[in-house]
Amino acid sequence: MFYDLHMHSCLSPCAEDEMTPTNIVNMALIKELDLIALTDHNSTKNLPGIAKAAERAGLRMLYGAELESSEEVHVLALYDDLEQALSLQPWLDEHLPFIPNDEHFFGKEEIRNENDELIGTENKLLIISLDQDLEECIEAIHATGGKAILAHVLDRKNSITNQLGFIPEGLPYDGLEVKSELQRQQVLKSHPWIKEEETFWLIDSDAHQLIDISERVNSLPSAELRAMWRKLP
Amino acid sequence: MKVTEMIEKTGFKTVYLGEDREVAGVYCGDLLSWVMGKGQPEQAWITVQSHLNVIAVAVLREFSCIVLAEQAEFPEEVIERAKNEGLTLLYSDLPVYETAVRLYEAGV
Repeated sequence: MFYDLHMHSCLSPCAEDEMTPTNIVNMALIKELDLIALTDHNSTKNLPGIAKAAERAGLRMLYGAELESSEEVHVLALYDDLEQALSLQPWLDEHLPFIPNDEHFFGKEEIRNENDELIGTENKLLIISLDQDLEECIEAIHATGGKAILAHVLDRKNSITNQLGFIPEGLPYDGLEVKSELQRQQVLKSHPWIKEEETFWLIDSDAHQLIDISERVNSLPSAELRAMWRKLP
Repeated sequence: MKVTEMIEKTGFKTVYLGEDREVAGVYCGDLLSWVMGKGQPEQAWITVQSHLNVIAVAVLREFSCIVLAEQAEFPEEVIERAKNEGLTLLYSDLPVYETAVRLYEAGV
């Protein structure tokens, strides 16, 4: 199953305006992906629109968000159930400090429906950290039935290794996301306590524009995905 | 200067007093990857980062103590880990810059 489980829609201020629900779905179809996930910064508000667009097109989806902890570490929350994903929103509302979005500086935060029609804009700036630490974020993801994937773990910005130096042993995450196979090997080399076989690995695009959505190159067996989302947190 | 003398001169609040190590300088930083790469032995480390990983980084860099600034707080498990390592933890109510200035004025 060819996938890309980390991308941003027009709700994320840093994403291009072209990242509308139907554009993302259609690009995923053009790229012949079997499974995608939408993971906007600290928000689930564009999930209903893209869920309908994907269903209409027959594209499988996971539903997500990219949380930023108080240590400024990015962690993906991924759900196989839309309602569960949306049930994270009240927690996000509570824990995202209110800073108004200056859209001329940061970019627009648009909520669009399955036909790409503008149905709202987010007035809170989404690209800041929640007032919850990494453990609390993972706990909130698990409490709502989601999986916590540490995002782009070797990036020089907002990754666990940049913010916290290394991936601590015993942190109850469900998976690790890297940008390439080489990065995966680097993570294993620098973390002897991480077991290659026992770890759920993702290689995602973190696309902020349509062209960056992954090609049909990264795949996971459907059985492994099924097992992941059946496993209790 | 020893850690105990430094505490006396700065008035920083002691969370846990570990080994009375030599303080030979100061490092400021919150991105632990940077601290791991640039910190030097016997430095007092000023940070607002209170994640458990700070203890591992402080031990790795052989810091003399950690000064948590800006009224941030260490979780209980972090304090417990520091005790295992004999690593002194201190609180400063001041922002990072003023905390560093106070250490400078104390002669560190």
